[in-house]
Amino acid sequence: MEFQSVSFNSDEASNCVKECIESIIGGLDYNQNKVNQWTASIVEHSLTQLVKQGKPYKYIVNSAIMQKSGAGLHTANSCYWDTTTDGSCTVRWENRTMYCVVSVFAVAVGL
Amino acid sequence: MDDFQTAEETTFVVDEVSSIIKESVDAAIGGSTYQHSRVNQWSSSVVENCLGQLTKLGKPFKYIVTCIIMQKNGAGLQTATSCFWDNTTDGSCTVRWENKSMYCIVSVFGLAI
Repeated sequence: MEFQSVSFNSDEASNCVKECIESIIGGLDYNQNKVNQWTASIVEHSLTQLVKQGKPYKYIVNSAIMQKSGAGLHTANSCYWDTTTDGSCTVRWENRTMYCVVSVFAVAVGL
Repeated sequence: MDDFQTAEETTFVVDEVSSIIKESVDAAIGGSTYQHSRVNQWSSSVVENCLGQLTKLGKPFKYIVTCIIMQKNGAGLQTATSCFWDNTTDGSCTVRWENKSMYCIVSVFGLAI
């Protein structure tokens, strides 16, 4: 039985995440009371969809929602992993009242 | 005796990682005021410093370090993370730091090889 070497498909993950964001906050205005459950929903749905792909990966999904009010926001990340098999993708989404930044990190599971 | 040492060397120790993060953030931006032109290099320094210190620990882990720097302007910010991993060996640590002009949130995720 041949083992195929896997690599992280960043485009597929990116589309998956965009759909999750749209379905949860698309068309809504920033609401302090609800933002808590929005971020939680976004990460849970994205994670579920990624795991459904059935690939041999561990995942970390991180999401940040920020109100548009003129403040500056900067994010950075650095990873120590196996560059041939592991990967990440970051999706930046916005509407009239808020920004949403979601990052997915996928780390291959050693077999 | 040998078993105890092995456990120490192969688990994600939250306190140790937390102090590494605090030192890195203090060294990079402690005492500075938010400046749009410099925030890019600050966030890069924070993650690189953290990662450097973490790899020096010599543990069999892959690491992901993320850093968010936000100006204090009254805006609301909410973040959430969800992880699909091995609960017995993997772990994370998040540190929230602030000064008069900005917030800095650093998260470290350690995944056992």
